[in-house]
Amino acid sequence: MITPTRWVAAAAITVATLVTVVGCSATEGAPTPGASSGGKPTGSITVYNAQHESLTQAWADAFTKQTGVTVVLRNGDDSELGNQLVQESTASPADVFLTENSPAMSLVDNAGLFAKTDASTLAQVPAAYRPSSGRWTGIAARSTVLAYNPSLVSESQLPTSLLDLADAKWKGRWAASPSGADFQAIVGALLTLKGEKATAAWLAGMKANYSAYKSNGTAMKAVNAGQIPAAVIFHYYWFGDQAGTGEDSKNTKLYYFKNKDPGAFVSTSGGGVLKTAKNPVAAQAFLKFITSAAGQGILATGGSFEYPVGSGVAANAALVPLADLNAPVLDPSKLNSRKVTDLMTAAGLL
Amino acid sequence: MNRFRRRGPVAVIVMAAGVSLLGLVPLGYVVFTAVVTGGPTLAALVFRPRVAELLGNTAGLVVITVPLCAMVGVAAAWLVERSNLWGARVFGVLLVVPLAIPAFVNSYGWVSAVPSLNGIWSGVLIAGLSYFPLVYLPVAAALRRLDPSVEESAASLGVAPFAVFLRVVLPQLRLPILGGSLIIGLHLLSEYGAFAMIRFDTFTTAIVDQFRSTFDGPAANALAGVLVLICLVLLVGESGARGGARYARIGSGAARPSARRALGAFAPAAQLLVSGLVILSVGVPIASIGRWLVQGGVAGWSDRYLADALAQTIGYALVGAVVTCILAFPIALLAVRFPGRVVRVLESITYITSSLPGLVTALAFVAVAIRLVPTLYQTSVLVVAVYLLMFLPRAIVNLRSGLAQVPPGIEEAARSLGRHPVVAFSTVTLRFVLPSAVAGAALVFLGIVTELTSTLLLAPNGTRTLAIQFWSRVNEIDYVGAAPYAALMILLSLPVTYLLFARSRTDRKVVNGL
Amino acid sequence: MRRTEPGDVELRAIGKSYGGTPVLDSIDLTVPAGSKTVIVGSSGSGKTTLLRLLSGFDFPDAGTIRIGKDTVAGPGVAIPAHRRGIGHVSQDGALFPHLTVRDNVAFGLDRHQRSERMTTVSELLELVSLDAGLADRRPDELSGGQQQRVALARAMARKPRVMLLDEPFSSLDTGLRSATRDLVSEALSAAGITTVLVTHDRAEALTFGDQVAMLRDGRLAQVGTPTAMYSMPTDLATARFLGDVIVIEALASGGRVECALGIVAQSTSLDGPCLAMFRPEQLRVGRLTAGADDGGCIARIIGLEYQGATRLLTLDVPGSVPLEVPVTGDTRYLVGDRVSLRPTTEAVIFPTGRAGASSPTP
Repeated sequence: MITPTRWVAAAAITVATLVTVVGCSATEGAPTPGASSGGKPTGSITVYNAQHESLTQAWADAFTKQTGVTVVLRNGDDSELGNQLVQESTASPADVFLTENSPAMSLVDNAGLFAKTDASTLAQVPAAYRPSSGRWTGIAARSTVLAYNPSLVSESQLPTSLLDLADAKWKGRWAASPSGADFQAIVGALLTLKGEKATAAWLAGMKANYSAYKSNGTAMKAVNAGQIPAAVIFHYYWFGDQAGTGEDSKNTKLYYFKNKDPGAFVSTSGGGVLKTAKNPVAAQAFLKFITSAAGQGILATGGSFEYPVGSGVAANAALVPLADLNAPVLDPSKLNSRKVTDLMTAAGLL
Repeated sequence: MNRFRRRGPVAVIVMAAGVSLLGLVPLGYVVFTAVVTGGPTLAALVFRPRVAELLGNTAGLVVITVPLCAMVGVAAAWLVERSNLWGARVFGVLLVVPLAIPAFVNSYGWVSAVPSLNGIWSGVLIAGLSYFPLVYLPVAAALRRLDPSVEESAASLGVAPFAVFLRVVLPQLRLPILGGSLIIGLHLLSEYGAFAMIRFDTFTTAIVDQFRSTFDGPAANALAGVLVLICLVLLVGESGARGGARYARIGSGAARPSARRALGAFAPAAQLLVSGLVILSVGVPIASIGRWLVQGGVAGWSDRYLADALAQTIGYALVGAVVTCILAFPIALLAVRFPGRVVRVLESITYITSSLPGLVTALAFVAVAIRLVPTLYQTSVLVVAVYLLMFLPRAIVNLRSGLAQVPPGIEEAARSLGRHPVVAFSTVTLRFVLPSAVAGAALVFLGIVTELTSTLLLAPNGTRTLAIQFWSRVNEIDYVGAAPYAALMILLSLPVTYLLFARSRTDRKVVNGL
Repeated sequence: MRRTEPGDVELRAIGKSYGGTPVLDSIDLTVPAGSKTVIVGSSGSGKTTLLRLLSGFDFPDAGTIRIGKDTVAGPGVAIPAHRRGIGHVSQDGALFPHLTVRDNVAFGLDRHQRSERMTTVSELLELVSLDAGLADRRPDELSGGQQQRVALARAMARKPRVMLLDEPFSSLDTGLRSATRDLVSEALSAAGITTVLVTHDRAEALTFGDQVAMLRDGRLAQVGTPTAMYSMPTDLATARFLGDVIVIEALASGGRVECALGIVAQSTSLDGPCLAMFRPEQLRVGRLTAGADDGGCIARIIGLEYQGATRLLTLDVPGSVPLEVPVTGDTRYLVGDRVSLRPTTEAVIFPTGRAGASSPTP
C-alpha cells in the first residue's frame, strides 16, 4: 500500500495557500517606507494607540486628509501597549505610540525605544508638558476629579484630599477602575509625591473601601445610577457625557481636590516616534500635526473634552481652565509604572 | 506494506502529530514561565490574598452554576421530550437559541436591562442562561434515544414514575450530563467579557487586567498557571466521574418513541419554567439589543467599521473553519481507521489544549512568537493557529463520526474496480464525509464568530472583528453603537446553531467539544 | 417483597384503537390461575398491544381487565403498571444498562429487605440457571440468552401475580431459543405463576403453553389447547400459522367428503366444493407392492428433494394438483416411481374461501 501522498500534498498546499492569503491580508496595513528624501510624508504609519479610539481616529482622519498618509491603529491600553513595545523591542511594527498618561511613555522611553521628537514639534508644546529628554511630547492633559452623587453624599462630606478615601468612613462608598492606566497614573503621582510606604498604606485602605469597575465610564455610570456615592475618574468622561445625552452623568457633580493634592493630579497624555519606525518622516509629521493648532483644535472643539497642551490652543470653554486646577507639580517623565503595578498587585487590586 | 496498513500512512501520522504537538505550546509555555520565574517569585505571585479571592470567585461560580445548569438543562429536556408540555416542539428549538448569543452579548443585554447587576449571583444568572443549553441539548438527544422498554421494565417491577426517573432514566443520562457540565465548567473558566461587564472577577478577567497593565508579565502568567491547573482538575474530575461506563443500548429492539407523560397539576409550573427560561435567556438580550437598535435608528447601521468588521469576521471564521477541518482530518482518519494508543494520545492532546482558556493559548502564542518566530508575530496566521487549537475537537468529533459511517467496503469496491487507493479514498470516502466536515466547520465558524478574548490579544494591527468592535464600543459605554455588532454576531450564529440542533437529533456526539 | 396470590386473568370485550385505526376488537380471554397462555399472531395482529394493556403500559378504550379479584382496567379504572403486581419481560430483556446483573435482579425488591436481597438474588439466578459469577457483570457483557434469563429473574423477584412475556426468545439464536424457552417454562411452572406469552413463533406457541390464543387482525380467531389448535384448527389461516399443511380440493355431499385421495371425512355440514386439510405427517407414502392394496390412491413421483432427515416428494395425484409430501425412513425412491398415498386420519374440512389455494404453506 502506498501512502496517500497526493492527498497529503494537496492538503498541505491548501493550508499553505490559505495561510499565505491570510498572512498577506494581515500585512496589508503594515507601514510602507514612504520617506522620500525631500521629507514629504507619504505611505502609511502604524500607531499603537492607547488614547481614546475616537479621538485618535479624528486626528488620523484629519492627518490623512491633509497628507494622504494612511494611519493604521492598534488600540489598547497604556500599559498593555507600552509593555508590548518593550517586548517587541526592535521588531515592533509600530511607528508612533500615543498614550492617555505619561507612565507608559516613560516605560518605553526607559527601554530606549523612542527616537528624538522633531524640534519643530517640541517647539509647539510648553516644557511643563514634555520631558526634558525631548524623546516624546505631551499631546493632551486630563485632570483627576471626584464624581459624586449629591443625593448620596453632600458637598460638605466630600474629602479634602484623595488620601482621605482610605479612611474607614469611605468604606464601600467610592469607585475606581484600578486596571485602567488612568487610575494607575494617579497612583503614580501619589507615589512620586508621598513615597512608597504611604502609597502602599493608601492602596491597602483603598482595597478595603473601594468598589472596582472596568472603566472610568462605568464607574461614573454607577455613581449616576446611585449604586455608589462617588468615583475617582478623569474629568472628560463627565463633560463628554454632559455634552451628549447626559444619561450617565445627569445625577452627578464633579469635585476638584485642588490644593496641589495628589487628587488634583493633571495627567499628561504622550506621543512619541519609535526609533525603529519604518516610516519616520510620516510618523514625525503625525506627531507634529497632533500638537499643531489644527490637532489641538480637535481637542478643544471635538467630543473628547481633554485639555489641549500645545500651540496655545485654549480648552473647551465648558472646562475649568487648567491654570485654576492648582495641580501638584510633577515631571511627567518621572512617574514609575512598573512600581505602581507591583504595588497594586501586592495590594490585591490587580 | 503491512506496516502501513496497521499504523496508517506515515504522512498522515506526521501531520496528525504535528498538529497535536502544536497543541503542547500553551501548556509548555505555562510550565516554562513557571520555571523561569522561579519558585520564590512564583510563590509570591500565587500565594497572595488576591489569588485566594479569585479562586473563591472562580470556584464559587463553577460550583454554583454547573449543577444549576445541569438541573435546569435536564428538567427542560425532560419537559420537551417526555411530557405533554404545550408547544414542546417550538420550545425544543427555542431552548437552543441561547447558544447563538455569545455570553458577553447576553451580559451586555442584561446589564442594559438591569444596570446594577454585579457579583457572583449575577455571574451565575448570566452564565447559567448562556450555557444551560450545553446540558439541555445532549440530554434531550439522549432522552430521545433511550429505549422506552427499559423504563417500562422498571414500572413493571412496581416502581413509581418519579422513582423510575431517578433510578433508571437519570443514571442513563449520566454521560451527557457530565459531558455538558464539563463543557460549561470550561466555558466558565475561560469567559472574560460576560464577567467583565458585571464587574465579577475571575481568574480570566484578572489575567486580562494584568495583561492590560503589564502585557506579558509574570503575574499574568502565574495566574494563567493556576487557571490551567483548575482546568485540568475539571478534566480529570469529569473523566473520573465518567468511569469506564458506556451505557450501550443493549439488544436490538426497534426504537419507538417513549410515551409522553401528562403533567397534570404541574403543567402551569412547567410551562412557566420553560417559557421563563426562553424569556430570560433569549428575550432579555434580544429585547435590549432591539431597544438600542431602535435608539440608534438607521444611523446606527452606518458605523464606518461595520461592513469591514463583518467581512473580517466572516473571513477569519471561514479560513479558520477550513484550516481546522483540513488539519483535523489526519487525526480523525487515524482515530477511525488505525486506532491505537499513540492516536489516542494525539487526540487527547488536542482535547486538553482546546479545554484551556483561549486566553492562555493566546498569551503563550504572543510570547512565543515575539521571542522565537517574530515573522509570525501580529499576523493572522497566529490568530488562525490559536483558533485551530481552540476549536480542533469540534472538527475532529464530527469528522470521526462521518468517517465511521463510511462502509470501508465501498472504498475497497472502488479499488477492486481499478482505482488507485488515494483516488478511491478521495472520490468515495471524502464525498461521504463531506456533510460531517461541513458540520464540523460550521461549529468552528460559530466559535470564531463569537470569540473575543484571544482575538483581543492576538489581532494584527488594524484588525476589527465584530466581537472586537462590539467590545470597544461597550468599553466606551456606547451601548447604542455596540448593538449592530451584537445583532450581526447573533445573525451569523443562528444558522449554525440550528444546524447543531438538527444534528443533535441524529448524531450523539455532536455537542462534544463546544 | 409483596406476596400475591396468583389469580385468573380475565379480559372482557377489550377494544383499542390508535388514531382511529382499530387494533384490538372485542377480545374475550381467560387465563386460568397458574396456567400458561400463549397469544400467537403475525406482526400487526395486535398481540403486543394486548400484552401492553395487560401490563398497564397502555389502557383499553373499551372492556375490562381483571387480575385475580382486582379490576385493573375498565370504565373509570386505570391502574398503571407499577401497581399491578405483574412481571414483564420484553423482546430484548430491557435490562438496566447502568446496573450490574445483581442490581438489575434486586431492582424491584423493597429496600428494607436489604439483608435478604443477596440470598434472594442468588436463588433467582439459580432458578434461571445462571452462574452466580455473572452477578457482577454489566448487561452488555452477557449473551442474549443470559440477558433474557436475567430479565426473567428480575421479573420473578417480586413474585408477580402474572408474568407477561413479550416475544422474549425471538432475538435469540435457534439453538439457544428452545433451550431458554424450556428453562423459562419450567421455572415459571415451578413457581406456579400465571403466565401470558406473546409470540409469532409456531414452535413456541405449541410447546410453551397450556392454552393458545390465535390473534388475527385484532380479533381472537381461536382459543384452545395446543393439541386442539394444531389438529382441529377452525380456519385455514390458523392451520397454516401453526404448522405445515397439505390442502386438497374436495367435494362434500351428504355429509361425506371426497377428494383425489378418496373419502377423507365422514361427517361435515358443508355441501359442495370444499378443502380437505392434512398435516404432512398424516399422509403415508408407501411402495407399491404387486397385488397388495393398502387402500390409498396411486401417485407418481415427479420431484424429489433431499432434506437431510426427510425427503420431500412431489407427487402427481390423478385429479389433483401435485402434492408435496415429506417422507422419512430408508426406502429409496426415484423420480418416476409409482407410490401409494394414504391418509392416516380424517381430514379437517374447510369451506373454499379466498385462502383456498391448494399449495402447501411454505
